[in-house]
Amino acid sequence: MNKLLIAFLFTAAAFAQDDAQAPKSFRGMVRLNRAPVFNEVLRVKLPRPVEHTLVNGIKLLILESHRTPSISLTIAIPSSHLRDPVGLPGVAEATAAMMQLGTATRTARQISEDLADLGATLSISVGGGGGGRGGFAGGGGGDSGTIALSSLTENFDAALAILTDVLLHPSFPADEFEKWKSRQRSNIEQGRTSPNLLASELMAKVLYPGDPRQFTRATVESLNKITRDKLIEHYKTYYVPSGDWAGIAGEITPRDAVAKLDKALGAWKGGPVERLSLPIRAPIADKKVYLIPRPNSVQTYLVLTNRAIDRNSPDYVACMVMNQVLGSGPAARLFRIIREEKGYTYGISSSFSASHTQQHFISATSVRTEVTEPALADTLKEFREIREVTVPKEELEAAKHALVGSFAMVLENPAGVLGRWLQQREYGLPEDYWDTYPEKVMAITAADVQRVAKKYVPYDNVQIIAVGDGAKIRGLLKKFGPVEEIAPDAQ
Amino acid sequence: MKPFALLFLATGLIVAQQSASKTPKVNFTDTTLDNGLRVIISEDHYAPVYAIAISYKVGSRDERKGRTGFAHLFEHMMFKGSENVGPGELDYLIYTNGGNMNGTTNTDRTLYYEVLPKNQLDLGLYLEADRMRGLVITGDNLENQRQAVKEERRLRVDNVPYGGEQEKMEELIYDNFAYHHSVIGSMQDLDAASVDDVKQFFKTYYAPNNAVVAIVGDVNTKETLAKVKKYFGTIARQEAPKPVDLTEPAKNGERRAKIDDPLARLARVDIAYRIPASNLADARALAVAAAILGGGGGGFGRGGGGGGGRSNSRLYQKLVEEKELAIQVSAGTDRRAGPSTFHVSATLRPGKKPEDAESLISEEIAKLHSEPVTAKELHRYQIGVKRAAEFRLTALSRAQALADDAALYNDPNRINTEIDQQLAVTPADIQKAVRAYLTASNRVVIDTLPTGGGSRSRGSRNQ
Repeated sequence: MNKLLIAFLFTAAAFAQDDAQAPKSFRGMVRLNRAPVFNEVLRVKLPRPVEHTLVNGIKLLILESHRTPSISLTIAIPSSHLRDPVGLPGVAEATAAMMQLGTATRTARQISEDLADLGATLSISVGGGGGGRGGFAGGGGGDSGTIALSSLTENFDAALAILTDVLLHPSFPADEFEKWKSRQRSNIEQGRTSPNLLASELMAKVLYPGDPRQFTRATVESLNKITRDKLIEHYKTYYVPSGDWAGIAGEITPRDAVAKLDKALGAWKGGPVERLSLPIRAPIADKKVYLIPRPNSVQTYLVLTNRAIDRNSPDYVACMVMNQVLGSGPAARLFRIIREEKGYTYGISSSFSASHTQQHFISATSVRTEVTEPALADTLKEFREIREVTVPKEELEAAKHALVGSFAMVLENPAGVLGRWLQQREYGLPEDYWDTYPEKVMAITAADVQRVAKKYVPYDNVQIIAVGDGAKIRGLLKKFGPVEEIAPDAQ
Repeated sequence: MKPFALLFLATGLIVAQQSASKTPKVNFTDTTLDNGLRVIISEDHYAPVYAIAISYKVGSRDERKGRTGFAHLFEHMMFKGSENVGPGELDYLIYTNGGNMNGTTNTDRTLYYEVLPKNQLDLGLYLEADRMRGLVITGDNLENQRQAVKEERRLRVDNVPYGGEQEKMEELIYDNFAYHHSVIGSMQDLDAASVDDVKQFFKTYYAPNNAVVAIVGDVNTKETLAKVKKYFGTIARQEAPKPVDLTEPAKNGERRAKIDDPLARLARVDIAYRIPASNLADARALAVAAAILGGGGGGFGRGGGGGGGRSNSRLYQKLVEEKELAIQVSAGTDRRAGPSTFHVSATLRPGKKPEDAESLISEEIAKLHSEPVTAKELHRYQIGVKRAAEFRLTALSRAQALADDAALYNDPNRINTEIDQQLAVTPADIQKAVRAYLTASNRVVIDTLPTGGGSRSRGSRNQ
């Protein structure tokens, strides 16, 4: 029998719908109420991992699962692009890449081939949030850097030995570093054509001016200045256990996991490293529009954003419920109105990026150039609606149902379950956080939703980034606030 | 010939070790209702969820001239309401009950799915049955979905670098109209689609006897089959649509095109060869050849990914590492039920010439002709196949595989046999298939060049 099954709990009739009032249609959706819906939410309890502290101080969470003949390990490290020296964005990024391009006894090619022979993957990610960087699954932005290893059970010892070699004996070969820099220059050139990348780089500068969060990746200029010594310095300081978390999921007993990791990583010492502390600032007060001209663009990529909450904010759960109504998925207002009713776009959503260091609300969509103005106006109208008008009871209950009901889906994926517990540890959330999460969600009221919408969904102070055909949209953007134009190659 | 014999022996041993795949066998029942609906049910009690997938035997290959993109546009209409479900209500009911859903169209089939907590089994079955029985088709709904689909085309084709390459490639590699055009279709044809087209398409293709439904997860087979009969059993069978002829006339010469791309910053070379349908042995062998030639770089099953985005593939080693000509290379085969393609792509560094990349790629293809792949390369491919199988264990992944394999190949058991067949491919199989299909007269070459303006594409046929 697998262990997950034992952990299920069924709570009957906890969230049965109020039958006194027939379900209503909302804007952008017609309800006929004829489909058979079982009115109880299937409540599940996430299985708990076993916790153990390794000899070097790492706190290891172990979730044994025999679903697949494999093991995956994730170790948090304090490396982060937010720790890049001032004026040298890209040091953490370069260090992570170079870690796998040579050790005292293996060339880059040997590392790559040895892993391939085992069917293993090893990846090292930079922490600090922003463009697809590290962090634990579901960690909401990822403050920590991570070292992740995945292999077949039978090859785990051999794969772990490669991880140990990479982690303890990197050689930072000068020739590989030059080749990496050369590839990065071409990648940066290529990235100048991506509306999403251009907007995300500018967004970091707009939301987090004057601190390390405004630099999201290496630039052509910084690549010319980063030396091998800077990488070695970053490695020595930030590739340390430092009392951080690690998680292991798969076909391994807690006893074996501890024994293997103590043996493989016992010699890995260092730290502690002080936690990154960056200010949580209030939302930007004044409306502003940024235009990045992209010649020949047939769509405008629109980002509407402002600073909002961190992961430990007391408003976090209310924001999740509010966003479920506003912009999370095809059942939410933005999708129903902006795509299904108006036909302006293929997709639109909104979300909160909430970690220790990332604290913003964002909504993004691509629309054909011709409808840039109505798409912006109608999106802002939805922002105003959720701020000004109480969410109807039916719509609120449905949003809460969605958040609680989707918990069952997580159980298909042991790594996802472990990720939730790592998140609980990383943010110092209460021990029973996930056990009581459904109650926390169900306790949110329409007044809570309106209160957090007013606070965090930007309207009078919205920051708009538009990437598109400058000649066609420059004029209309002025209707939404003072416009500042940024050249795509300005970086 | 001695070295060859030794090599085969060594490879044989490795294959024998590899074939002990630990992937659990998928058990399922396979029933056909009186109205022709094929029903596949597979119990898996690992997590308290289930997935339902319906594969309709209709794709872009069934479109007629002047209506390209229609099968996919129609897919969008399936979310706009049916007899007992309002427009947008399906999305709403699925998501607010903790589930998720989507639809997807390719050249050969259109698939719809839902994943839900186990206590919402009736809901998923009812919603799928209701839209199979009777779609509500209105001009307003068609109009807003036409706009959404045109935005999808802009997002994926017209507003991205290299967006036009795939369409051009399909035009040049296929002569039979069935595969000669893209799934997304042209703006002009999307504009031409009418409400009558939608009604006719629904009647012809969205019938129980033209579909397979698969249900996988924490369900009871007997009870589930009874519910399927209750919800789907009374939907009327329709006359079976005529099968589309997918045969291609033999190709008799290389074809080339150049695309001037105002959105690209770097030149790209794309080379493709026409190969057999993806369920045939030669296509399977060519998939291995593609993985060894240009797979990897992180993912499983494509030649063994390594660390840091590096790949151990031959093209990566030659073009990216050794010659420093490209920043990115890839190779792969697509999975069509009819004639498929083997494709290679290289994105060049600034200032590098497409013809230099092309000649290096040609050299590597020639090596596949003259020498068998090594035992080590084959081993990396095989271990990648086994690892990739780990990611296909979800209820949804299994439901999709069962529905599609039954709909396209009349063989749902491919879910159990395909991995072993992939693991059994030998160096001799690969060399035989490479020699038969990766030939100069069977290929198309497209160079995409960055430009600030000028015409978007120009093609030529050198036959």
